[in-house]
Amino acid sequence: MSDDVTVPPVDEHARVERTAGVAATWGGRLAAVRGLGLVGVLVILGVVGVVTTHGRFLSGGNLVNILTSSSIVGVVTVGMTFVIIGGGIDLSVGALVALASVWATTLATQDLAIRYGAWVMVFCAVAVGAGSGLFNGILVAYGRLVPFIVTLGMMVAARGLAQSISDRKTQLVTVPSVNALASDELFGIPLLVYVFAAVVAVGWIVLNRTTFGRRTFAVGGNAEAARLAGIDVRLHTALLYVVSGLCCGIAAIMIMALTTTGSSTHGDLYELDAIAAVIIGGTLLTGGRGTLVGSILGVLVFTTITNLFVLNNLPTEVQNIAKGLIIFAAVLLQRRGRTATG
Amino acid sequence: MTDLNRRRLLAGGAILGTGGLLAACTGNTPKENSGGTVDAARGDNAKPGKHVTIGFSAPQADHGWVAAISKNAAAEAKQYSDVSFQPVEATNDVTKQISSIQTLIDKKVDALVVLPFDGKALTSVARKAMDAGIPVVNLDRVFDTPQAYRTWIGGDNYGMGQSAGEYVGKRLKDAGVAKPLIAEVAGIDNLQLTQDRSRGFKEALAKYGYTVSIRQAAQFTVESGQQVMSNILQARPKLDAVWNHDDDQGVGVLAAITQAHRSEFFMVGGAGSANAMRLIKTDKSVLKCTVTYPPTMAASAVSLARLIAQGRGMSDLTEHEVPAYMVLASATVTKDNVDRYLPLGFES
Amino acid sequence: MDALLSVDGLVKQFPGVRALDGVTLSVRPGEVHCLLGQNGAGKSTLIKVLSGAHTPDAGVVRWRGRPVGFGTPLAALRAGLATIYQELDLVDGLSVAENVFLGHERSRLGFSLRTKGNAEAAALLARLGHPDIAPGRPVGSLPAASRQIVSMARALSYDARLIVMDEPSAVLDAGEVATLFRVVRQLTADGVAVVYISHRLDEIRQIGDRVTVLKDGRTVAAGLPARTTTTAELVRLMTGRTVEYAFGERTGPVEQRELLRVSGLARAGEFTDVSFTVHSGEIVGLAGLVGSGRTEIVETVYGARRPTAGTVTVDGRRLRPGSVRAAVRAGMGLCPEERKSQGLFGHDPVYRNVSVASLARYATAGFVAPARELAAAARSLTDLDVRPADPRRPVRTLSGGNQQKVVLARWLVRGCRLLVLDEPTRGVDVGARTELYRLIRRLAADGVGVLLVSSEIPEVLGLADRVLVVADGRVVADAPAPTLTEERVLDLVMEERT
Repeated sequence: MSDDVTVPPVDEHARVERTAGVAATWGGRLAAVRGLGLVGVLVILGVVGVVTTHGRFLSGGNLVNILTSSSIVGVVTVGMTFVIIGGGIDLSVGALVALASVWATTLATQDLAIRYGAWVMVFCAVAVGAGSGLFNGILVAYGRLVPFIVTLGMMVAARGLAQSISDRKTQLVTVPSVNALASDELFGIPLLVYVFAAVVAVGWIVLNRTTFGRRTFAVGGNAEAARLAGIDVRLHTALLYVVSGLCCGIAAIMIMALTTTGSSTHGDLYELDAIAAVIIGGTLLTGGRGTLVGSILGVLVFTTITNLFVLNNLPTEVQNIAKGLIIFAAVLLQRRGRTATG
Repeated sequence: MTDLNRRRLLAGGAILGTGGLLAACTGNTPKENSGGTVDAARGDNAKPGKHVTIGFSAPQADHGWVAAISKNAAAEAKQYSDVSFQPVEATNDVTKQISSIQTLIDKKVDALVVLPFDGKALTSVARKAMDAGIPVVNLDRVFDTPQAYRTWIGGDNYGMGQSAGEYVGKRLKDAGVAKPLIAEVAGIDNLQLTQDRSRGFKEALAKYGYTVSIRQAAQFTVESGQQVMSNILQARPKLDAVWNHDDDQGVGVLAAITQAHRSEFFMVGGAGSANAMRLIKTDKSVLKCTVTYPPTMAASAVSLARLIAQGRGMSDLTEHEVPAYMVLASATVTKDNVDRYLPLGFES
Repeated sequence: MDALLSVDGLVKQFPGVRALDGVTLSVRPGEVHCLLGQNGAGKSTLIKVLSGAHTPDAGVVRWRGRPVGFGTPLAALRAGLATIYQELDLVDGLSVAENVFLGHERSRLGFSLRTKGNAEAAALLARLGHPDIAPGRPVGSLPAASRQIVSMARALSYDARLIVMDEPSAVLDAGEVATLFRVVRQLTADGVAVVYISHRLDEIRQIGDRVTVLKDGRTVAAGLPARTTTTAELVRLMTGRTVEYAFGERTGPVEQRELLRVSGLARAGEFTDVSFTVHSGEIVGLAGLVGSGRTEIVETVYGARRPTAGTVTVDGRRLRPGSVRAAVRAGMGLCPEERKSQGLFGHDPVYRNVSVASLARYATAGFVAPARELAAAARSLTDLDVRPADPRRPVRTLSGGNQQKVVLARWLVRGCRLLVLDEPTRGVDVGARTELYRLIRRLAADGVGVLLVSSEIPEVLGLADRVLVVADGRVVADAPAPTLTEERVLDLVMEERT
């Protein structure tokens, strides 16, 4: 995470905010890096991992495994970060992953894919994801409905549609180039992880370096002020849900590769995982402030916990308790950090 | 045409095209027969008797196995000209299942086949049916008291674990492995059936002096199977055998094994999906065996309900009545006998 | 007479700031004690310490002669010290009576006694001279003045001996202020003491008994007689300067080019048939009471509300009705009435608040160049003399006047040619006001057209070239500012009312 420290503060404006008023020394800046708490949590988890697993935790294979396991929820979390910073919420992400994965693995789609190439499946998943996101966005932005309710409805409906299309069966992916995404490696790292990295990189640039990203902060921070400053708040809000849906479509392709299937049971509870990662990553649930780096750290923390527990062969219920405690701890840590400097 | 209009038209065309392609992509008609139904030879009992109405209630299918249950029941009923089949809406809500069974009682069906979502919660309504003179065939998940059913037919979760343990134990013993590393990928951990399966597995292995080295629970879904297995493979750089409770989640377990390039061990599946059996037949993956928990029991249950309602016994048995309790054996399906079981495998 | 409340040597330290640095205050029963001071002088912190929201680092607070430390606002309330904040802490969805007894509901065994609560609330409201407010009405449906009365009723429901009022007149018009003063006199006649905070010296002279002046967290004068201390003296104590308002040189429009033409503009239920023009370099003021339709008119001109009739034309081109984007593209900019909720992005640093309306000009193909953006913001901050001129500072740490300048800067960096200023000096202290006036004048001199709305008639008269008097949703007069006086404007407004 040295990267996070050396970028000019203008990019991660949350950090700017924290440092302002404090002495603008490097020490002060370092202490104020949002997400540093999470880096600390990761370090602690790492130490626990090394001690309890005789170093196996730090093996290359296991680190790659953690990244691979993080990649799908990670991509969904990128979209969720945009929506939440923009003042919304998207409960439909898990169901959209399921729907897109099912839609892209039907016999009809796979027949087309075998004839014309795997891009048909990719296009199908992305179009289903982005299209459903657009539907969410139009209802929220132009129908002026509460995002919680709209996306809750989409969550139920999309899961249902996925079940109806798949007839609740697990659909095997027979197109080898899709499965290759998870089984093929470059420098010992599955292609899936590169896709994840690419989505995070693009997401970071869009959020911090483009007018779209900057307007996202403005719309989420104060929608009325944004409107009076001449921003098309409704269009922007609708687009945020398209971004989230698009990420779900990409995640669907990734989950198809990883599990070699499309299924209506895919993406179970992703909405909670993604929202939790975004919030412990330091993004304000009410919008207007947040960082993508924090969200991704949040995802890594959760995946690492699961990994550690399996490595030590501990039962599921203990994992769940630990995850809950980590959420409390991370949020409390951040709160303390905030009140100390603000 | 102005530039803007042309752009709009193009955009509209693109959207329509996308919509058309997406609509075309929902097609899912399988090319092969979905399998899982039986058409075994039947004795005298196949001859039409008194016309009977059989009510059927099962949980909502969130899993290939449960889906196969409902399908098999309906398919079996169709084979009899003297049976009207009356299924009620499948539900995972206990109160809804109770009220829908109540409706069937009120309709005065001749017999009931019930797979309860929760055996305890549905005992009273089943008893009501029995008290009203409607025989109940209890499928798989058992009611609290025998007074609530005429006949129970179901699988054997403990036996399933035992069969898997026997296969793993024998195969490792034959190979002369002294201290084998055995992994177990369980299903949803708080279900009684998962605990029964694990107990059977553990006790069968104990006979060979073996223990489970790592046990983790998944969620009966492909995704959870992949996730849990990928972590197990990191936890144990070397393994000798794996038992996975459920062939549905097994798809994910196998994906994780392929992705980790591991093949030093063999794997045993559970439940008996057609897909797993096809893999066993090819003998090219680590999956060498699966132990069944057959959804064909639904077909048997319907045929038993018909016999009970018509007052007939099972023609191969001496008794004039259908037995009160039937536990189906968990078969061990390997490359050698897979052809016999493949038609019974369910499409997950 | 013994002091009801006396404060001595109060100190409160925040990270980086010493908000209170030796405050002394003594309030007697039954008096109206005014607290004066510029923004940042420590008034708000003092109130929060008195009401138990903050704990002081040093100093003594005596309540009825005994040293106390109210740990929580509830403890202060129970002791008889109530605070009515500027942003009223009422729950919109609850009824008047429920708000009055919020936190100490009239109940038995956990069941609320609605009839009893309503009756007691009605009695309190009657005591405050407002039997017209029905205890069962939802608070959200009440006008600002009535909400304030409800807040006072809540204070009285705790049998308050001292009520602190934080700028109660800021959201009220002249008639409502008169009612408020009547209520305050009623309270003091009953022996209740009031600590009254306001920027308006004329109010203090009307209602106050004694004045305490704060500057930089210190008491610079305590217990001055409110009626006889001269304005010049008070202003000097607060600022170190000697004048209250200074509008600067009126230069008049530089060129007579018509920028904005509004004709026949109407919005059902708000205003009808509004027509006027603004030329480049001209300041046009809208005077009128709160609720007369001033804000609605300028927001409709700006496209934030959709008109039901009429047109808005900029440079001879008609704007799409109800579109802020069209107005902004045509060169308009708005500094809205509610700065915090409509103008600022409180989470963001200053520079982002400045650049938000002109992001596209620091971007290539959608990618923002932060260095250019930051440099432009920094330039404009220096230009407008924002203090501190640090573009990375969180905007909410700035004072009201500097925040207003940030919103102005937003439009200036965009090269805006027509500024709509709605109550630009609300919540801005005396010193900063003068600066804002000078700034607005300077902008006009540079050729920017200004449409100004203000509740303070002297401000409109002193600043504008031409004044439109608005009453009940209609423009009742349109005249050059020098031909009007404050009395004349009030006459026009009142005539319309009766």
